[in-house]
Amino acid sequence: MTKPVAAFLLLACLLSAITHSIGEERTPFVTLNNLPMGSLEKPFLLRTYFPDPGLGREVLANHDLGFRARKYSPGKGDVKGFVDPIPGIPAAIGVNFGPNLSICWDTTECRLLYAWSGGFLDMTNYWGKPESGRRKGFGYIPELVGEIFYLSRGSHPLAIFSQYTDDIVPRYRGYRLENGVPEFSYALGDVIVHVKIEPTDKPMSFRKSYRIEGADGFDYYETGYAFTRTQEEGEQFSVLIEGRPIVSPGSEGEPSFSTDKPNREWGESLYTTLGCIACHSLDGSRGHGPSFAGLYRAERSIAGMDETILADKSYLIESITDPTAKVVEGFPPGYMPPYPIEKNQIESLILFLQTLGNE
Amino acid sequence: MKFFLSIPLSLFFFSTLLCRGSSYELETIPFPEGVPPEVGALGFSPSGKLFVALRRSDVLVAEPGEDPADFSWKLFASGLHNACGIEVISDKEIVISQMPELTRIRDTDGDSTADLYESVAAPWGMSGNYHETNHLVPDGKGGWFVAVGTASHNGPVFYNVRGEYSKVGRRGRNFSAASWKGWILHIDKEGEATPWASGFRMHNGILLDSKGRLWAGDNQGDWKGTTPLYHVERGNFYGHVSSLIWDPEWDEGVDPLELPVEDIDEMRTPAAVLLPHDEMNRSAAEPVEIPEGDDFGPFGGQLLVPDNNGRRITRVMLENVGGVYQGACAQFLDDESLQLGNNRLVFSPDRKELYVGQTSRGWGQIAEGLQRVRFTGEVPFDVKMMSLTKEGFRLVFTSELNDASSELAQFKLRRYRYRDNGEYGSPKHDVSEIEISNLKQIDTKTLELMVPKLEGGGWVYELGIEPFKDHRGLEIRTGLICYTINRLR
Repeated sequence: MTKPVAAFLLLACLLSAITHSIGEERTPFVTLNNLPMGSLEKPFLLRTYFPDPGLGREVLANHDLGFRARKYSPGKGDVKGFVDPIPGIPAAIGVNFGPNLSICWDTTECRLLYAWSGGFLDMTNYWGKPESGRRKGFGYIPELVGEIFYLSRGSHPLAIFSQYTDDIVPRYRGYRLENGVPEFSYALGDVIVHVKIEPTDKPMSFRKSYRIEGADGFDYYETGYAFTRTQEEGEQFSVLIEGRPIVSPGSEGEPSFSTDKPNREWGESLYTTLGCIACHSLDGSRGHGPSFAGLYRAERSIAGMDETILADKSYLIESITDPTAKVVEGFPPGYMPPYPIEKNQIESLILFLQTLGNE
Repeated sequence: MKFFLSIPLSLFFFSTLLCRGSSYELETIPFPEGVPPEVGALGFSPSGKLFVALRRSDVLVAEPGEDPADFSWKLFASGLHNACGIEVISDKEIVISQMPELTRIRDTDGDSTADLYESVAAPWGMSGNYHETNHLVPDGKGGWFVAVGTASHNGPVFYNVRGEYSKVGRRGRNFSAASWKGWILHIDKEGEATPWASGFRMHNGILLDSKGRLWAGDNQGDWKGTTPLYHVERGNFYGHVSSLIWDPEWDEGVDPLELPVEDIDEMRTPAAVLLPHDEMNRSAAEPVEIPEGDDFGPFGGQLLVPDNNGRRITRVMLENVGGVYQGACAQFLDDESLQLGNNRLVFSPDRKELYVGQTSRGWGQIAEGLQRVRFTGEVPFDVKMMSLTKEGFRLVFTSELNDASSELAQFKLRRYRYRDNGEYGSPKHDVSEIEISNLKQIDTKTLELMVPKLEGGGWVYELGIEPFKDHRGLEIRTGLICYTINRLR
């Protein structure tokens, strides 16, 4: 896939622009919804197992290695065959700021591991389906929703002058929530570091704001990404990092559909990769946004309008590119960001929507 | 005083099914709509607020009221990974044991929602295996004991592991691939960790009682013939071998699974009380001490152990014989109205209500929720205490016996033992009926059974009681009591 580029921008709540909305009055609690999300105003933080999208050993330098083990049978003991470990990050923290930014910050390495946009996590593997509640036997790591645009590389980005010859293991101290945004804190020897990661108005970017206590001097490095240091002030500084879509190891190879002209399969793929899936169900159930089921050519009640509106093609296009224009009744305005994706992608999505009933 | 000979001839199974009768009431307490009620931990603040840690993320808080449907649940904290232990310090401060660490969580700005999450200690590793949950109990000095759960062969480990990884520790059914799995650690208030005791499989629940004694349950399985309750002392090994590899004294390269079972038997400190699997408890969860006094009925000072895999809560009667703890167990509740997955127990500060938190997602059918048990004030007719004498067993009842009761009563005794090894659980071995030669009535509430043949060393003596009534006409609640003899008097 070559094109989606611009697309990765925003994502998450696609179409239903019809909706730009989040569900009803939001419950403050984590519920049976396996696609929990936050927003800019109210970020959502979750400690859980995280996928390892191909982080290098230099990034996971303070983790030990798990190995292949003999299969075990409760009745017979060791039996024929082996069980391999699975890729995963055991002790990271995820934060979601709505469709535009999610981050995975690790408490073992005390650094940002990766960032993505489009949605947050699909917890089904770990939390199980609401009806059964059973995790997936061996593949229970939650899945990322959306596209990764930043994957950490190289040594720890923060370098303390006096420690460059030392073998220092970072020690996680915790976090403080300021308006719902965590400021993580860790120790490097006697040096205390506080770091806060927040979205910016640019897509595929974020700002890291550091406060450092007790260092004789420090510098910041980033392997493979452009960054700008700003707001230097004594022991405080910020870094603005701009990412780009990452081709994840699992998604290599030719897609099974063409991207030369609009088609339904492409639309179905975009439904997942852009992150529409995070807010819009395909089975009629209510999510952060209205369901896509039966949406095409349905009559929609729009907030602030007396008459209903037909969800035709032009309405869908507007809802993708300018989601705040018409918000479906009962969903809060402003949740879905605009998706300035290319025309063929929009057309493909609409072709996909047309297959979901009401035709 | 009356005497008679019992005639226990055939193997007999007495019903352990216990209805609440009219002495205890049970209520179910709902959570807000849509919230999965998977209760990982329960605790009360000194002001009487109930804190509930749910396993997906959240800690909810409410002031319990009369109407169970009318708790006004608020969110206190969130974002936690499978929180299974809690200490509630105040309405503004809790300590949680979650998968990766012990976390102090505080509301520092007074808005009733936590804003500061401090890592107190993270001495144990994480293999990535889903099964490695942790329970805590405060040590009374600002620190904690933490039960560090093992991993299960029903799940994998990760390529990237937190803490140290051991290939030898990875072997086996429940395993200790990452540091300190299967141990109880002591963590002082500064966060300094000390290994305390080893040999646990899934000690999903520990208790420091009012006399300063530490207790841990465990789950029947490999190296656990049946569900045990242990009196935990520093430096002891309690039988599950995988944890041994993290012992600083352990010879590197020695695979504990390859040691002869007799060597393991030598090393093991036996359970204080064995809870027979089918009859009593399939999976011991958090033990709790019934408050002294009669606010919750006649069993003050005894322990309750919920069955994480059954609709029942087991009562444990302990005594110290020759410096070793041992005693009996009987069902406290065995009731269809009790939900499955009984995991956490806590008494309300007024000592009148027992809150029961349930979860077992991922293990069989969905079993989850929150219930509470209240004593109605009507003293049940039950065996209050079974203790060992030089000649047999003494039974003290909760109420006066009917004059004719000892004639009506029939007591039957058998004994068996379990074998702990790498196999999952153990059948009863060496089952035999045991003669009760005499029955003496000592006073209006006390009977003594004369048993000529008693033996120590971990035998379970199972006493079946056929129904009879007390002087009020109330039928006895208990049909079966199992006494574990470690030592003779």
